[in-house]
Amino acid sequence: MQGFLKTLFADKYTLRAVAFCILAALALLHTGAAPFAGLLLPAGLLITAGLLAKK
Amino acid sequence: MMGAIITTFLTASVEWVEAYTIILAVALSIGWPRALGAAGAAFLCLAILTSLGSFILTLIPSLAVLQFLIGVFLTLFGVRWLGKAIARGAGLKKLHNEDAEFANLRARAEIHEASAAWWIGFNGVLLEGLEVWLIVVALGVQTHHTLAAASAALAALAVVCAMGALARRPLSKVPENTIKFTVGCGVLSFGTFWILESLGYRWPLGDATLLSLFAFYALGGLALIGLYQRKPHIPGIG
Repeated sequence: MQGFLKTLFADKYTLRAVAFCILAALALLHTGAAPFAGLLLPAGLLITAGLLAKK
Repeated sequence: MMGAIITTFLTASVEWVEAYTIILAVALSIGWPRALGAAGAAFLCLAILTSLGSFILTLIPSLAVLQFLIGVFLTLFGVRWLGKAIARGAGLKKLHNEDAEFANLRARAEIHEASAAWWIGFNGVLLEGLEVWLIVVALGVQTHHTLAAASAALAALAVVCAMGALARRPLSKVPENTIKFTVGCGVLSFGTFWILESLGYRWPLGDATLLSLFAFYALGGLALIGLYQRKPHIPGIG
């Protein structure tokens, strides 16, 4: 069961980092800079992958 | 659809290679018939989970909610695989070595006891298969090609079984990290695409954006590997 949950939801650190990236992109979507959400989310996720690599 | 099938095939290949190592180690203790029985029981559980997962997801009435949920699950999966592949590519973590995994398994005391060995085989295949399950269900339901995705996973299983039957030893020559890096970029591209689309964002290049997202993650990942290789890594710092 633990393996199943970890496969779906990852660890807390990854979950928080991905949630932060999505919320930041969502916030940007509701501003005048909405077209940049398509840059912000991939950039945020790449930074997250980079941070996970160093963890 | 082709991208989803290739991604599923590659994900499954990596996981089945790891599962094969476990079954090989178990088979040396309890024989091939019982080891394959443990693997078969795990595959049955995975097949039931795939049907159940696909059914539950198709019950979600809103396409946007379904797309968002699948996007989040794929992103959580892809970011971990890409992170691991970057760490291993840069030498921050040891490369996954099937020979070492096999030796570790054979060194475990409980693998020499029949029922414990059976459970090691069953749990091992089930845990490795859960990631395949996630990709098959998520990509299959979202692209409306669950059967094609499941077939890609089964094709990967057939290839690994054939390689295993020929090699009769752990498949340590498979370039696991390169495949993990590619899959991480691919899965992350699908996840990013569907999350933003479900939130109302219109990608300027439509579906072709997936290729540019893949290129972005691949080039970015390679740049991070280069960056980390240049920086001396001090354990415990950074």
